[in-house]
Amino acid sequence: MSTLVLEGEGLTMRFGGLVAMAEVDFKLNRGEILGVIGPNGAGKSTLLNIITGIYKPSSGQVRLEGDKLTGIPTHKIVERGIARTFQSSRLFGDLSVLDNVIIGRHVHTKCGVFDAVFRRGRAQRELKESAAIAEDLLKAVSRELYEQRHRPAAVLPQADRRRLEIARALASEPKVLLLDEPSSGMDDNDTEALITDIRAVCAARPDLAMIIIEHDMHLVSTLPHKVMVLDYGEKLAEGTYEEVRKIPRVQEAYLGRKAVENA
Amino acid sequence: MAASNHIETAAAGAGTGAVGIALVIAVELIGAAFLRQFLLVEDWRIIVGMLGVFCAALYVLQSRPALENRIAEAFSEHRRLATLLGAVIVLMFPFVLEQSTYALHLCVLSLLYATLALALNFQLGSANIPNFATGASYGIGAYASALLAVNLGVSFWLALPVAGLVATIFGFLLGLPSMRTRESYLALVTIAFGVVVHQLLNNLEFTGGPNGLVGIPAPELFGHNFASPLVVFGYSLPSQANFYYLSALLVLIAILFADRLHNSRVGLAWNALRADELAARCQGINTTWYKVLAFAVDAFLAGFAGTIYAFYVGFISPDNFTFLVSVTIMTMVIAGGMDNILGVIVGAVLLTLLPEKLRAFSDYRILFFGVTVIAFLMIRPQGIFPQRLRRYGG
Amino acid sequence: MTDMLLQQLLNCITLGSIYALIALGFSLLFGMLNIIHFSHGDVSLLSPFLALGAVQALGTALGAAPGGMSFFLILVGAIVLTGVIGLLLDALVIQRFRDAPVMMALVATVALGIVLRELIRHLFPNGSNPHSFPRFITGTLDVFGFPVPIFNAAVILVSILSVGGLFLLLNRTRLGLQIRAVSHDREAARLMSINPSRIFRVTFFIASAIGAIGGLFFSSYASVVRFDFSVEVGLIGFSAAVVGGLGSMPGAIVGSLLIAVLDTFVQAVVPHGASYRLVFVFSLVIGILIFRPSGLFGKTIVEKV
Repeated sequence: MSTLVLEGEGLTMRFGGLVAMAEVDFKLNRGEILGVIGPNGAGKSTLLNIITGIYKPSSGQVRLEGDKLTGIPTHKIVERGIARTFQSSRLFGDLSVLDNVIIGRHVHTKCGVFDAVFRRGRAQRELKESAAIAEDLLKAVSRELYEQRHRPAAVLPQADRRRLEIARALASEPKVLLLDEPSSGMDDNDTEALITDIRAVCAARPDLAMIIIEHDMHLVSTLPHKVMVLDYGEKLAEGTYEEVRKIPRVQEAYLGRKAVENA
Repeated sequence: MAASNHIETAAAGAGTGAVGIALVIAVELIGAAFLRQFLLVEDWRIIVGMLGVFCAALYVLQSRPALENRIAEAFSEHRRLATLLGAVIVLMFPFVLEQSTYALHLCVLSLLYATLALALNFQLGSANIPNFATGASYGIGAYASALLAVNLGVSFWLALPVAGLVATIFGFLLGLPSMRTRESYLALVTIAFGVVVHQLLNNLEFTGGPNGLVGIPAPELFGHNFASPLVVFGYSLPSQANFYYLSALLVLIAILFADRLHNSRVGLAWNALRADELAARCQGINTTWYKVLAFAVDAFLAGFAGTIYAFYVGFISPDNFTFLVSVTIMTMVIAGGMDNILGVIVGAVLLTLLPEKLRAFSDYRILFFGVTVIAFLMIRPQGIFPQRLRRYGG
Repeated sequence: MTDMLLQQLLNCITLGSIYALIALGFSLLFGMLNIIHFSHGDVSLLSPFLALGAVQALGTALGAAPGGMSFFLILVGAIVLTGVIGLLLDALVIQRFRDAPVMMALVATVALGIVLRELIRHLFPNGSNPHSFPRFITGTLDVFGFPVPIFNAAVILVSILSVGGLFLLLNRTRLGLQIRAVSHDREAARLMSINPSRIFRVTFFIASAIGAIGGLFFSSYASVVRFDFSVEVGLIGFSAAVVGGLGSMPGAIVGSLLIAVLDTFVQAVVPHGASYRLVFVFSLVIGILIFRPSGLFGKTIVEKV
């Protein structure tokens, strides 16, 4: 069962003199959730940007099911089966909720300019199918969101925006889903609801692997199978949440040296 | 009880249906009558008064969104009727213009500008790519077809697709820098492209230099020469009517293009690109390709419009295709409403007619365009008719 | 032959220095403060019209054309006034687009440039026609037996001083530090009680005033000015800043010189080159943008995620 889906090897990212990521390795199995934690500026988002091809690592490589991803443009990586959300939710605000999810189906649809103009039937059919799939997806993620499918995405409250981002990412039927701080800006109730939502998503897709970047320790202690700790672009530790949180260097990185000494 | 309820709702449905039909007919007929009057009237006081009425109507729509929605709903409910009536109005329109060649000429210009504005709308409206070179694509189309006709005796009907193709190729070339450059840089590239094209047309020998090309023959169709009056059922229309129908057909094609592309995967991808380019890439959209595509589609339609223009006036010179033409087209798109087909057409017609009808004012035309753009961007960036959300299956 | 070559070289450097004065403003606004201001060229070329207007007005008032010192004062006045106009345009129009989509600011400022040109055309007496503009510095210097017009020397000197002054201002003064702080992070600057609006206004004044000097030199060098010269001057100035790399002051100079060299070379070598010069200039710009999108001296932009 534990088949490898995504792996990173020696990932290093330099911006000029600044080292944002140094020699980070990770492995992700099918159906597994990897939590990534670390203080601000530890390189968590850099990791996601490398995996999705937005940054090209200075050295090291990412492989999806054994195929090298490094150097492939972002939109092709999505096609291979990696979808993501953003820390500051980046929805298509002036489009409807439903359109946002339909756009998420882009890699599974084919009609180009020629089809759209001269083979209208085909293009319409394809779009209708996408719309139906998108509606089902919205229903599955959240009934409330489905009810609001014809409203512009920009008017949604924060929690719904996050849900919509997840639905949009799932629309591409990814093998790996990357969530960048899904709970940021949420209160405890919303976070609890989010955890339930993610669980439901996983239950419906047993093969889906996930990387979740998080600050909320409650979420980190509940969802991920294993946790990786980053600090100053380096991997400090990896293991289950219980294992990781006992490591002194992790506590130091998180709480500061003083607090650890006092504890 | 349940049955009577059922009957009542059915009756109510029929009632709104009838109201909807009446609404569609009323809006289209009043719009056409208004446009006719505006084209024929000569007294500037009446023109200003009509503009006042137009603004008031817009204001009422703006302040009563329910009314606006009702009208929009009626049109989408009775789409077939609206299209049919619209087609009849467009076909009949030249017959009610009292043989005025000037009014017909203004109609042709409006329709050509409407095509150009719809072309630019793919970029500016759908994808938010600033392209200051639509005027250049228009010129490339005009020159390509005129050269074919004047030098090789190629007929209009063959020159039209060839010119479209040539303009598209140049559009692709212009779009290529958009792979690496964005925003201000891309705007600079498009402005520079427009200037380069103008300077080349102005200096190359085979384009006739600043004098341009003369003697472009009028098109012929089934032995009917477009320079001669159009006789329909014994009723004779001025020769401009030929080009009126031709450019109306072109606008129809442009509308079909715009509508089909808007309601397709391509239109969605362009809109995604407009909202957030990075997020679009992360949905698997090849943003570079879609940008280049927007350039190509824009150039294709602009090339068509250029061809018709060249054969209509029979004489073209580089000054018909300057940077200011590009800015004029841009003004139409912004004022009318970006990514709204109806809005873009209204913007084009309005901004073509205004400077022509207010003659005293026509020297200030360019100033007026500049101020209009800034005012709209500052006060009402969505334009007269804002974009509408897509609906699927009602 | 050598004299010819030296003469051409001198022309190149002079022209390049004039372009640089316009390019600096573009670089400062676009590069440092991330403001889109496509009308900078048009603002810069307001100065010759302001000066001519003042000369005419004074001429009718005094009955004689002002000369010498009073003419010099008029030029200074035109430079300051142009700076103020730049500042006002920011306050009235451009600042509204600070947080709007880039496309809007682009289109709005292109339109603003058109409005400025049209205003000159309609408000200035005979605005559509070319107006002759005096070479306000005359006489020649003798440099190792080679005659150098004092005008050319002054142009080069002023442009070097402007770049040097701007460099010192940005790197050695409190104001420069504030400008850099605002360019780096507007919110953080605000937290450190820097008023970004004030910084924007000051920068607009500086950029427009330096541009105004460029505008005066340009008109004087060409000895004629027309309302629509600013289209070309603006495009070339912006191109020079882009070629050099927006935000880089030395880049603006190198870009300007490069364009001036190409410009002069094409006019000298290519048959009918004068009418094709922009084709070559913009081909260079487009080429550089394709192969080095951030210009020769620009920093590569890392996308913010």
